[in-house]
Amino acid sequence: MAHDLGFWTLQALNALQLSMLLFLLSIGLTVIFGLMHFVNLAHGSLYALGAYFAASLAAVGGYWMGFFLAPVAVAGVGVLLYSGLIKRMRKSGPMAQVLVTFGLIFAMLDLTRIFWGDLALGIEVPALLDGRLAFLGVEYPTYRLFIIALGLAIFAALAFVLARTQIGAMIRAGVDNDAMAACLGINVERLFFMVFCFGCALAGLAGAVAAPLLSVTPDMGLQILIPTLIVIVIGGLGSLKGAVSGSLIYGFVQTFGAVLAPQLASVLIYALLAAVLVIKPVGLFPAKG
Amino acid sequence: MFRHNALRYAVLALLAAGALFQALTAEYFGLEILTEILILAMLVLALDIVAGFGGMVSLCHGALMGVGAYTYAILSTKAGIAPPVAMAGSIALTGVAAWVIGAICSRSHGIYFIMATLAFGQMAYSYVFEAPIFGGDDGLGGISRLDLSFIGVDLNDSRSFALFCLALLAAIYVASVLILRSGLGRSLSGVMHNEQRMRALGLTVWRVKADVFGLSGMIAGLAGALAAQHILYISPGLLSWTVSGEALVVVILGGLGTLVGPLVGAAAFVVLKHELSAVTTYWHLVVGVILIAVVMSRANGVFGWFESRWGDRIERRMADATRKQQSEEVLTDA
Repeated sequence: MAHDLGFWTLQALNALQLSMLLFLLSIGLTVIFGLMHFVNLAHGSLYALGAYFAASLAAVGGYWMGFFLAPVAVAGVGVLLYSGLIKRMRKSGPMAQVLVTFGLIFAMLDLTRIFWGDLALGIEVPALLDGRLAFLGVEYPTYRLFIIALGLAIFAALAFVLARTQIGAMIRAGVDNDAMAACLGINVERLFFMVFCFGCALAGLAGAVAAPLLSVTPDMGLQILIPTLIVIVIGGLGSLKGAVSGSLIYGFVQTFGAVLAPQLASVLIYALLAAVLVIKPVGLFPAKG
Repeated sequence: MFRHNALRYAVLALLAAGALFQALTAEYFGLEILTEILILAMLVLALDIVAGFGGMVSLCHGALMGVGAYTYAILSTKAGIAPPVAMAGSIALTGVAAWVIGAICSRSHGIYFIMATLAFGQMAYSYVFEAPIFGGDDGLGGISRLDLSFIGVDLNDSRSFALFCLALLAAIYVASVLILRSGLGRSLSGVMHNEQRMRALGLTVWRVKADVFGLSGMIAGLAGALAAQHILYISPGLLSWTVSGEALVVVILGGLGTLVGPLVGAAAFVVLKHELSAVTTYWHLVVGVILIAVVMSRANGVFGWFESRWGDRIERRMADATRKQQSEEVLTDA
């Protein structure tokens, strides 16, 4: 290969940036699944919604307003979804849940089209994060570095909360055995609700962060859904470790696959997923053994 | 095991009569819609066999149909193989692909099975999208229809083609019933209800699943080969996971595990889609809301709901009528 070290550093950073974006999405989805055994295919639509909220808010009050308020707005939508649909679907089988959330994808796709139109929206990168940073012998866009840093920060914060705090212990107990956790006096239903809303907020945050990089279109939720599902299935459902390792695997396989074997790049990740499912049907680091 | 009841026969007869009437009287646009329904009906029959009778909720049937379509197109245009052979080849290849997928996924259950089949479907989609031989994003054109001129049928005429698809759908329906009533089909029901017990009884569970998945794949392959001949042009969009999702929606809206229900669903879905997209560009919203409502009502689709309400009553009335008739016969004999 004629490429120098700088080229590979650049690719590694690209891979890391993609991984962190996927991590923000998949952590919410995986904990919702692990805790509630609920398959939320509409998680991608919440991400798209986050991007739209961010775009609209940014047009009013600048990038940072979108960045901070979009997650809150998406969490609000999550509250509506939870009380309207998801609470009633909790006891149904995975198939019914897949279908209801599939219907939700359809509905939300058209709702975003009704409210925001078919045209792609864009957001400007804030002045603070505009430009490039010289880094390890390469120049890299500051905004992408910001995404990497944000992903790592959220990972660290979640790892701390889950491992060291009481609420984290309650969540872990709920994932492990919700009936037993309920017997020990944990209000599991309320815990579910909080985790669900937090997962929605993270999806909204991912949308807001991704908006300046990609154009904001109604089908962006559909496009990100499959990678997110691959991440959580490879990583194993319900665990932080699974979400982060799955994201990293996806990011690096996708990015380096595209460089080394462009013909096979997209097939590669699906083949990897199939291999994982055959060898370890429950993923690499499932929350439960 | 799959059984017909009076209601199912009645709905089948109605559907067949409606399709035949449409095929004989409709104009060009009506025939196109009818053909679309017939091809979708084949796909959803294939899906209902695995999902409704084997508990294998597959999200790769759209991709299997795409594999059938692309195989037919490649064999008949690029390899220059005669259309009938190309069609047989596409059915066989799709069947083999489905068998392999079924065998690999046979260990997974529930959401993992859905994800695994989704992965295989997406794998096929990306491969077709990227590989230059398949024409990538541009798709493939120049596909020809089967030549049946030796029995005096010109399939390039849309009416003949619709009738041809109708005949094939009828054959596929009968074949599906036969598959489900065979030893294989009964084993499949057993596996769906209690896999452990079937294993304890000495059944090779993965073989049963793979075999049925393969047969179902052959039907999907046939649907694909027909879809390619219908539109005479194919694009990778055919293999997209949303096609599989829509097929699943049709099966659910119609009534899972009833065979007849998905046929009703296919007709309703295509008609609804065309009617709604004529009125509004937001037909996805309407379909989404209907889907949510049907699933949340916990009914087994439209046909399943109807059947659970009226099926028994009709059955009883029929039984009463026969009994009465018999007793009258006995009386007159005496």
